Amino acid sequence: MSPSVTARRTAAAVAVASVAVALNGCASRGGAGETPPGNDFPNDTITLYTPTAAGGATDLTARTLGTELEDDLGVSVVVENRPGASGSVGMQFLADQNPDGYSIAVLPVEVSMLQYQDFDVDPADYDFLGQVNAQPGTIAVPADSPYQTLEDLITAAKEAPGTVSVSTAGAGSIWDAGVTALSQAADIELQAVPFDGGAPAVTAAIGGQVDAVVAGIGETAPAHADGRLRVLAVFTEEPAPALEGVPTAIEQGYDVEIGSWAVIAAPAGLPDEVRDTLESAIGTAVEAPSYIELIESGGNIVTYRDADEASEFVTEESARFAELLAS
Amino acid sequence: MNALAEGLGALADPYIGVCLVIGVLLGSLVGAVPGVTATMAVALAAGFTLTLDPLPGLAVLLSIYVAAQFGDRVPSILINTPGTPASIATTFDGYPMAKQGKAGIALTSSALVSAIGSLTGILILVFLAQPLAGFALQFGPIELFCLVVFGLTMMVGVSGGRIVKGLGAGLFGLLLGVVGRDPITGDQRFTLGFDELASGVPFIAAIIGLFGIAEVTNQLVSARPGRVPQPISQLGRWWPNRAETRSLVKPTMIGCAVGSVVGVVPAAGGDIAGVVAWDQARRTSQTPERFGKGALEGVAAPDSASCATMGGSLTTTLAVGVPGDSVMAVMLGSMVVWGLQPGPALFVTNPDLVYSLAGLMTLATLLALALALMRMRGVIKLLALPPRYLAVVVVTFCMVGTFAVQNSVFDVALMWVFGLLGLLMRRFGFPPGPLVLGLILGPLAESNLRRALLIDGGDALFSSPIGMTLIALSLLAVTVQPLRSSMKGRRSRERTPTPVV
Repeated sequence: MSPSVTARRTAAAVAVASVAVALNGCASRGGAGETPPGNDFPNDTITLYTPTAAGGATDLTARTLGTELEDDLGVSVVVENRPGASGSVGMQFLADQNPDGYSIAVLPVEVSMLQYQDFDVDPADYDFLGQVNAQPGTIAVPADSPYQTLEDLITAAKEAPGTVSVSTAGAGSIWDAGVTALSQAADIELQAVPFDGGAPAVTAAIGGQVDAVVAGIGETAPAHADGRLRVLAVFTEEPAPALEGVPTAIEQGYDVEIGSWAVIAAPAGLPDEVRDTLESAIGTAVEAPSYIELIESGGNIVTYRDADEASEFVTEESARFAELLAS
Repeated sequence: MNALAEGLGALADPYIGVCLVIGVLLGSLVGAVPGVTATMAVALAAGFTLTLDPLPGLAVLLSIYVAAQFGDRVPSILINTPGTPASIATTFDGYPMAKQGKAGIALTSSALVSAIGSLTGILILVFLAQPLAGFALQFGPIELFCLVVFGLTMMVGVSGGRIVKGLGAGLFGLLLGVVGRDPITGDQRFTLGFDELASGVPFIAAIIGLFGIAEVTNQLVSARPGRVPQPISQLGRWWPNRAETRSLVKPTMIGCAVGSVVGVVPAAGGDIAGVVAWDQARRTSQTPERFGKGALEGVAAPDSASCATMGGSLTTTLAVGVPGDSVMAVMLGSMVVWGLQPGPALFVTNPDLVYSLAGLMTLATLLALALALMRMRGVIKLLALPPRYLAVVVVTFCMVGTFAVQNSVFDVALMWVFGLLGLLMRRFGFPPGPLVLGLILGPLAESNLRRALLIDGGDALFSSPIGMTLIALSLLAVTVQPLRSSMKGRRSRERTPTPVV
């Protein structure tokens, strides 16, 4: 093969690749707008957005649910990531889409928190179609920590206010709110130390750089199992199956119930038939073995609420965070 | 030994071979497209590989990870645009070499030392994983802060002789680093009302603008009718000669050492390792003034370093259960779903898996090296296109790549802003390297210092031996080097300064 042939081939391959990428981008957008929503819904590709980067827990949730929804609805479901700014970028993007059912998204707990943190996000901009999972909060200490129970930690914090350091996934994150919730319930002052994500926060506790960590059960349970961390309490009503033998905070006398969750949402103003179709498809999808396996492998819980219950739940959570985040 | 045989034996499946080849091809491709990072490719592939068995799935993910590190050198050297952040430092000497008609040697040497770096990292994984696990855990906020301070001392070196302008650019980079939400309180800072800036200045958009767009626009602006700029299709020789091979030994050793250490540190990856190794090689060189002007050693050090981080990152991920870099964070997620919980227990419960992974990485490295050496001539012919067509191709890639990171048009607009900034910097002689360094290290320095102060107050620094050592090294770096170079300068006063980049 002569060099010039190689050159042309390479250039052609490059051109094809860029066109393919560009078309790929268009395909997910085109068409959906023109289809009149109605009884024939769905008859076109549905885009399932996530306001998080590819590869994270929310992304995996979306991809697994997307496959199940595809089977159920009989059309393609394409997952598209719109990450950035604690998810607000993707949430605003969804609110701006047509309420025709072809643009839906997996939204994490932040949808009910961001409005209290100067972000332009309002739960009223969405129709919620169902809750799909829940991740209970936990508090854990390094394996060699002197604190054996939640009581020990709270006593220490009472004796020397502000000296017990607790790492969290970041300022304004759900786990930061968890520290606030515990502080209020026990009337103590903890020193929250925000990290850049849940994994580094848990690492700081494993390495003994902080006295404790508040994080999701999916992040603390594996470390608890192999002895790198000791989970002192789960922030749920019922004990968590993934952490056998670990008491809840409520059992230990502190009324803390907090966790992260995910709902599926559409821009507000969805036609009723479309809403019903999507709601029942989601209800079926969360029962799929592949989905249950994914969620439970992370120590999380498949928690389903239908559209009405989910809307009510988001409103309740939102009201609660208004109080919690104001303090 | 039994675990070794079992672990490697599991790789004898031809199906795994197919997975490796697919991963290597994908990785080389995404590495070569600026903006499409290894993290992104692995994240997207993870959605698909979860449907496979663990070993074939890991074969795809690991080979993308490894091969992207070979692919990303190509645009760094040929068009001054890092394919992924890990090859930022490759542009410092790689692109000047290409402009001197030595792209062939730069690419071949880069591929060879990358393979050496990668294999070094794998040796660390196999032999030192467990002892190193403890070391990685000692890196808390204060230690990370001190490491970052040490990294900031590199600014002088990266300035390429233009100290004042370099430090000016570096300070500007640090200032840009405070844009976004305050890492501790969450308050908005300099976001100008854009929610897109809440997580800080999008890094990929910034580097693609500063390097790629600035380079292309600079060429267009400086092109004169009738004068066709010298195309980089003159590659010169392919294989380094004996003297050049000898000159590669020291920087490659430095690169491997730096890369291995940085790789083990959680959250520090190939971009930081490359810059640190480049500067260490420059400092210890007999002729530091050649760095930044097309020194082969200046390609060898960062490329071996960024590849050596892979083994180190995997070590931290497997032995501590903590992601060693952003790609590993994605891979960790997949492993958990497969029921392979990384952590100290993994070495007891699944020792064969560790050997399997090391074997997979070795195979991926060799495949990626072979592919890199084979396809080079073809890739380079792209540059034989007339510059005005090439500019369109490069700009298209930059825009598609930047958009793809977050599917964000805002990022593409920001890329152009940085492109314009980079063009102005270039015209007025400000080096872009220190700005990028400031942008990478500034937020890390700030957030970690503030975490350390929250935890321990002012005593934090003095209670950490690792931190004290790093601060001492930083002090040495900023005091010894100027003394040495002023002595050198006296000796060779007649040397005429050559413009860089």
